[in-house]
Amino acid sequence: MSKNPLLEGKKGERHLLLGNEAIVRGALEAGVHVVTCYPGTPSSEVPDTFRRIGGTGDRYYLQYSVNEKVAMEVACGAALAGGKALVTMKHVGLNVAADPLFTTAYTGLPGGLVVLSADDPGFHSSQNEQDNRNYARAASLPCFEPCSAQEAKEMTKEAFRVARELEQPVLLRTTTRVNHMRGAVSFDDLPAEKEKVIDFKRNPLRFVPVPAVAKVRHKALEENMAKAMAIAEKSPFTIEHVPAANPKAGIIVSGVSRNYVSDALETLGAKEKVCVLELGMTWPLPEGRIRSFLEKCDKVLVVEENDPLLENGVRVVCQKAGLATAISGKGGVLTIQGEYSTPLLIAALQDFLGIKGENAAPSCAEDLPKRPPNLCAGCSHRAVFYAARQTFGDDAIYSSDIGCYTLGMLPPLQCADFLFCMGSSISGGSGFAMMAKRQVVAFIGDSTFFHSGMTGLANAVFNRMNVIVVILDNGTTAMTGHQPNPGMMQEQLGDLCQHLDIESIVRGMGVTQVKKAKSFNLKSVMNAMQEFAKLDGVRVLICEEPCALYARRALHKGGERYATVSQQNEDTKRCFDTLACPAFCLRDGAYAVDSELCTGCGVCLQVAPKSFKLVQRG
Amino acid sequence: MDATKKLRIYFTGVGGQGSLTATALLARTALHAGVDVVAGEVHGMAQRGGVVESVLLLGGWRSPKLEPGEADLMLGFEPLETLRGLPYLRKGGQVFSSSDAMPPVSVSMGKAQYPSLDDIKARVEKVASQVHFLPCRELGLKAGAMQAGNTVLLAAVCASGVLPFGVDVFEESLRLYLPAKLLDVNLRALEYGRSFFE
Repeated sequence: MSKNPLLEGKKGERHLLLGNEAIVRGALEAGVHVVTCYPGTPSSEVPDTFRRIGGTGDRYYLQYSVNEKVAMEVACGAALAGGKALVTMKHVGLNVAADPLFTTAYTGLPGGLVVLSADDPGFHSSQNEQDNRNYARAASLPCFEPCSAQEAKEMTKEAFRVARELEQPVLLRTTTRVNHMRGAVSFDDLPAEKEKVIDFKRNPLRFVPVPAVAKVRHKALEENMAKAMAIAEKSPFTIEHVPAANPKAGIIVSGVSRNYVSDALETLGAKEKVCVLELGMTWPLPEGRIRSFLEKCDKVLVVEENDPLLENGVRVVCQKAGLATAISGKGGVLTIQGEYSTPLLIAALQDFLGIKGENAAPSCAEDLPKRPPNLCAGCSHRAVFYAARQTFGDDAIYSSDIGCYTLGMLPPLQCADFLFCMGSSISGGSGFAMMAKRQVVAFIGDSTFFHSGMTGLANAVFNRMNVIVVILDNGTTAMTGHQPNPGMMQEQLGDLCQHLDIESIVRGMGVTQVKKAKSFNLKSVMNAMQEFAKLDGVRVLICEEPCALYARRALHKGGERYATVSQQNEDTKRCFDTLACPAFCLRDGAYAVDSELCTGCGVCLQVAPKSFKLVQRG
Repeated sequence: MDATKKLRIYFTGVGGQGSLTATALLARTALHAGVDVVAGEVHGMAQRGGVVESVLLLGGWRSPKLEPGEADLMLGFEPLETLRGLPYLRKGGQVFSSSDAMPPVSVSMGKAQYPSLDDIKARVEKVASQVHFLPCRELGLKAGAMQAGNTVLLAAVCASGVLPFGVDVFEESLRLYLPAKLLDVNLRALEYGRSFFE
């Protein structure tokens, strides 16, 4: 096997790829010039794979942007300059990036832009399970929804073809199970030469959407979406199965649910009892194909996770055509919540097709010791949260943000009282403080600060708000897998990126009450917090310490020493109960530290100096 | 070998153990053996010391996820997680599990009780037709690295004959897909796994 099949694989080869790797291969086969992103589960492996296989190569340029809006704008700029651009993000990221997207749908982008929105039904790693197919409808974007690794590759390629042909941004909408599935993918060749870049022709009457221009472009968008519908009507991703017996029951299905329907029909032995229309290009809907399918059926069940968008579309087609076909969709087990599954579809199809069968009651999970996610041993956030708890206790309200540090909500640290979205801790926190007249401590990580915390800080200074901001600077984007951000040290960033100094930014924004501490130095962190507690206005404490995992894996630091327990008493118990490091354990009823997990951060020694000591490893 | 044999496998372990790597390796082996394969994983937040589940579907199943009662075979990389994942096994399915415990924080802090291995075995045997607990970590260490314990487990599963391919194909796969520096340790681990069914 070649070292790098994604770059070197030839036509006809088959490789096992993650859905996200298949998207990378599809983009490479399409001749992508520019990839921009903000990382977020389940999208992160797309840019991370581009980075792993050589983001600085001749073939394409890759950028980790500071947030999704910026990533979208950089990609739009590149597509306007004639390149094929891919921008990737998780579903909630598209909320951040929506503004440029809606307008570039009007102006169009001649080079071709594909937007990957990785949705997360079932909340695997997200604060909501919004359905971004709504954006396809709201912004008028042709939309593709793959259900396998092979399709992830093919549809990415087709998305680029459509994006360039229509000069319209195209939405590639995936869900967690598709991003993180592995399957065999058959390759085509990569383009022998770099894809053609479309020359930019200066045309302010198209690309500067003042009202008079935008009005004209809205019409162009409508015309282009009509062309997109014609493409959908002929799309090879619209697959119709009509059994020889011509059954009068039909299923219309899109996305990952196509797999569940297929496996459920296989399990029920019912493949010959129902017609199935599988849609891969799901906006605009191929109304002609849907209509002719409806005409074959007396009743149709529409299956899709999340919102009833396809269902409503099918109902419209049915009504427009004046058909009597009975349409069903959401209802019963088919809810708008969470993920679907094969057993769920078995139940729904038994009901729809009138097949009798027993549904085995799912066995209940037993009451076993839980294994919840936790801040790592040696995580610098734990030290800062401990310090905050000691300083403010329940007197303060803790405004949290998105990152590993959201796990600070768990006892005993309990340093998260509310959270809206990326970057909301400072703005939401200052709004809360204004109304409640209470001390608010806002926690935000380095990557999230650059993402959208900076604007909240500028606003807090500008409007003379009251908030203590603690920037948890661990020098990387830890939660999503250590992607670069502007706060990362220059040595790690290399030549292509420029480090930005958080303290200079904070001071440059006009914050005068600024302190800096090493996160593992409890005294220094607590002193700063105590001093800030007595003051008003915007106060910023920057706590620095590399992410423990990043320190070990990338910086090759930490772990030279580990802690041992040197006395068994109330003091030791207090440290165990209030710090709750995962390296703490009980051995035969005695307090102990797991030397394998301990990174030697030394925070427990500061909490209970007589109870622990550090010893050299090795 | 019957490449069309349909089989659904549920993997469960603890974040950091390498169960996702093991899933991907077995998936590659299946593809190498000419078997239709789909695997499913969940990445992200759950991995911070939490439970990590994955699935491998052979022989033409399409859904990259399993629900309780669907798995024909369960591979547990940690005994408590094997027990927790037990509802995923269909009645009469088979279980291969490590017998080496990794107590969760609640247990190490004395706030919860870790069930005894005998208790775990008894409860698994009530559902499964065949149950194999292997000292994977111990054998992995004996082979030269703790992570090679996963190879012990995979080799045992392949050698048992439950999959549409055998342990020889798995050995080919190790030689094809593992970095050279990890190969010797894993080949030794493979022999430990193979020896359970010889």
